Amino acid sequence: MALLVYSLLAGLMFGLFYALVGLGLNLVFGVMRIVNLAHGDFLMLGAFGAYWAFTLLGLHPLWALLLEVAAFILLGFPLYHLLVPRLLRSRDPEMLSFVLFFGVSQVIEAVAIIAFGNTQRSIFAPVFGTQPVSLFGQTFPAAWAVSALVSLAAIAAVYVYLYRTRLGYATRAIMSNREEALTSGIRVHRLSALAFGIGLALAAAAGVLSPFMLGSIDPNMGVDITTAAFAIVIIGSLGNPLGTILGGLVYGLSLTLMQTYLSSWSAMVPYVLLLLILLVKPSGLLAREARHV
Amino acid sequence: MSAGRGSRPLAAVAAVLGAWAAAAVLTAGSGVWAAGTQVAPKEIVIGTLYAGSGSFANSSMPEYAGLTFWVKTVDASGGVYVKAYGKKIPVVLKSYDDQSSTSTATTLYGQLITSDHVNILVADFGSVLTSVAIPIAAEHHMLLFDQTASGISLFSPKNPYMVDTSIRTSALWPTPLAQFLLSRHVRRVAVVYAANDFDQSQAQTLVRLLAAGGVHPVADTSVPTTTTDYATLLHTLAAQNPQAVIEFGYDNNDIAWFQNLSQSGLKFPLVFTIYPGLETALLLKDAGPAALAYTYTYAAPPLVAYNKVTVGLGVSAFLKEFPKVMPGGTLNFQTIAGYNTGLVIQEALATSPSLDQLALRHAVQALSGHMTTLEGPFQINAAGAQVGEPMYIAQFFPTAHGVRLLPVYPADHAQHAPVYPAP
Amino acid sequence: MSDIPPATPEAAPSPAAARRAGGAPAAVRHGLTILLPAVAVFAVAPRIYPNGALLFAMMTFLVLAQGINVIFGFTGYLPFGYVGFFGTGAYAASLALLRLHLAWPLAMLAGAVAAALLALLLMPLLRLSGAYFAIASLAAAEAMYQLVSNPALVPITNGPYGLSLQAVYDGPVSYGAMVGVLALTLAILIYLRTSRFGLALQAIRDDPASAATAGVDVVRSRALAWLLSALMAGLAGGVYAWHVSVFYPDTVFDLSFTVFAIVFVLFGGPATILGPLFGTLALYGLYDAIGISTPQYFQFIYGLLIVVLVLFLPEGLVSLLRRRGIRVP
Repeated sequence: MALLVYSLLAGLMFGLFYALVGLGLNLVFGVMRIVNLAHGDFLMLGAFGAYWAFTLLGLHPLWALLLEVAAFILLGFPLYHLLVPRLLRSRDPEMLSFVLFFGVSQVIEAVAIIAFGNTQRSIFAPVFGTQPVSLFGQTFPAAWAVSALVSLAAIAAVYVYLYRTRLGYATRAIMSNREEALTSGIRVHRLSALAFGIGLALAAAAGVLSPFMLGSIDPNMGVDITTAAFAIVIIGSLGNPLGTILGGLVYGLSLTLMQTYLSSWSAMVPYVLLLLILLVKPSGLLAREARHV
Repeated sequence: MSAGRGSRPLAAVAAVLGAWAAAAVLTAGSGVWAAGTQVAPKEIVIGTLYAGSGSFANSSMPEYAGLTFWVKTVDASGGVYVKAYGKKIPVVLKSYDDQSSTSTATTLYGQLITSDHVNILVADFGSVLTSVAIPIAAEHHMLLFDQTASGISLFSPKNPYMVDTSIRTSALWPTPLAQFLLSRHVRRVAVVYAANDFDQSQAQTLVRLLAAGGVHPVADTSVPTTTTDYATLLHTLAAQNPQAVIEFGYDNNDIAWFQNLSQSGLKFPLVFTIYPGLETALLLKDAGPAALAYTYTYAAPPLVAYNKVTVGLGVSAFLKEFPKVMPGGTLNFQTIAGYNTGLVIQEALATSPSLDQLALRHAVQALSGHMTTLEGPFQINAAGAQVGEPMYIAQFFPTAHGVRLLPVYPADHAQHAPVYPAP
Repeated sequence: MSDIPPATPEAAPSPAAARRAGGAPAAVRHGLTILLPAVAVFAVAPRIYPNGALLFAMMTFLVLAQGINVIFGFTGYLPFGYVGFFGTGAYAASLALLRLHLAWPLAMLAGAVAAALLALLLMPLLRLSGAYFAIASLAAAEAMYQLVSNPALVPITNGPYGLSLQAVYDGPVSYGAMVGVLALTLAILIYLRTSRFGLALQAIRDDPASAATAGVDVVRSRALAWLLSALMAGLAGGVYAWHVSVFYPDTVFDLSFTVFAIVFVLFGGPATILGPLFGTLALYGLYDAIGISTPQYFQFIYGLLIVVLVLFLPEGLVSLLRRRGIRVP
């Protein structure tokens, strides 16, 4: 019983973290209809940023998080203009974006391995205090609780941006119909570039938390993270950033429950969930996308 | 274009054929040249791999430094004595970085044999990176000097092309551990191991020996070798109320294990892991002394100091000489293992009548039981597995500034009485 | 997607053009000019070139690149999890050798059959559109890897501890077997390039609706291409496993097999025979010539190549020739 309480609470914390992992991917897809297959690699860059800032400069990960969010939003603009407009003019942007960002992912991974070494690294966790946090008679690492709270704050910030600001209102207009938004005078490219940057920043923010939630980071972690992010986004609802919270929670809970009761099979969770959803409900979730005949 | 249909592909194929022919002529030429130099070697080429990065880097690099130290000291004295030619010949080390990847290692072992034509083939650290070299070495009839691959499944009496120089067969390591647990009447034992030959061999031996003593583990679980998060598993284990928790892993596993354990708020009366005894400084740095206090591990050189040796430097002399030759190099058990590999090669060359690989293998076999190095008595069985170079049990004790590791079992090697349960 | 016209009409020749190029004479000519020399080169090469491992790896990638070509080049589906078939073939063939003690040709066949069965199981994925298909196939490959390497399955697959085929190892014969697989692969490609079936596939890729109206059985043709492509990877995986003889699950389910093969196809040019052939020989040759000790430089170059090709040359190098009016088989 205690074990069940433990895994449910841990699942909740991991769920919030994983919601943050998927959120950026979904925002970029929702606004631009392109698939950022390098999402996990941007997350990895965020993770290493925090690692080096802590190891070399002694900078607290939460400060690193704020700095990285700003930096990745700025990085979004040149990257968007370099890749996306040309891509959107091609004959099948969605499919080609997939291949293109796969190339980007390979480049990032290669550079990261050359720069950082192909080595697992971890941030010695007492940065968030050495006392474990007690909840309902169960103890948890303080870093988990902090990460869950930070994730919640980041998700709330995205909600406020999309639903409580004029820029966010215009961004949602692009999400529902890009052509109409263009004709109604919305500056589509500028807002899309901003959304692209926010997507990367969310990945970086999740990256800062990842050494604490995943135990360690390494330059190869991108592919696994991207697949997990996909599962989360598709469980929630594709193109709807808030559905991602649901996706994250389902994902986090199933992962910790599996780890507790069937640990050797837990690594299969993201892949099987993704396959099941794509196979069982492709027409439901992906009616617009489902392929012909 | 005036060219007719079909002529273009023909041209393309011709171009490809031409390129292949050119490449073939070049390499065949270099092969003949290399074969020519083998008759009267100006140098003994030792080929090896190291993991400059990846999950085995922390173990592989010190081991590589130990082997390099041996090469440098031998060359400083004018080379290694080769009985086959009756004179000293300089040694060169030909090495590549496999980045802890088995597929990269596979290609590179092949390259060492087929392109570099090394005289002596030395494996990279550990069971995983060594296992892929075994079929390649056997296929090319090269003797594989296995430094630290000790998984029992790697050895076969049918394969003469492999010999373990520097580490006791891992199936033998846990014998004193099992005896210790039984002598202390520890009944509830939980075993967690990383799924690889090295750790699995140990887990199997421990469980078998405990069962023989009437103790059946309350948990016996494997995790992937890449595991770096034990938080949930620790809670699952705690639910079984174990008196002793034994975690067999590689260094990254052990670091994560101690980090998770210290943050979880859980406490066990007895915790045993492998790597704090082999790479003490690394574990102290990454897991912290507080997490290690009162936990148990293996006692191996340099903690166990063999100074009465028949070959090479004793432990104390090595500790003094190594930093002079390799300033800044990490010095732990792996470094000693790498140096020890060099010593075995040195003695094999000094006694083998020829550089033929099977002759070398026989020479190594003849050393068994007649040689003591800084790792202790050297003894191999017919399959080439190391059965000497023993391991004991040690425990960390808190001091005014940190912890210190002392052998505690068996009694004739103990420097301190074991403390159980941990306070 | 069906409302977008193909950007490069040259890539999808009209039936009339196909009749001009196609048929038995073309197949024979390609057999003599491409298949025969390629097989001859690889059959003879080990006698003059000592690094057999490299030759073997190159053949493996030639087969995988052509296998991806069948499903990606001809039907437009990009299987990111293609390595799943390779790994499945490797394990099935090895287990057939080790546990069932089958003769090697039967064991290799078992590898191919297992891969085809997996493809059959994954057939519903073909309903998904491009990106979803790609990610779903990747998830399937990863799930397969997790299944094979699971500690719970140690009695069957030996789980994460890998397999050793040293008892049945035979270097020259397994090398010869890969030459055979290469020959079969090229024969399949020549068939696709010169037959009505190949044309039908390309018609489906470019516009499934009109292909269906023109009397092409879309579902059946696509399924056949999918099975064929899985079969090729399964065969290659089995022979590869036999040849390396000690391997771990992460050796044969390594995503870089897919990455390399995709790059080779994109570079040379999909839906041709020579494109992937040239892509593999050129890029893998380069990879080896410069040295394998730091694979990341190649990962970097290959990644960059993908980006540049997608943005500027989505039909590969052969499209440069096509623009000059040169037909590439």
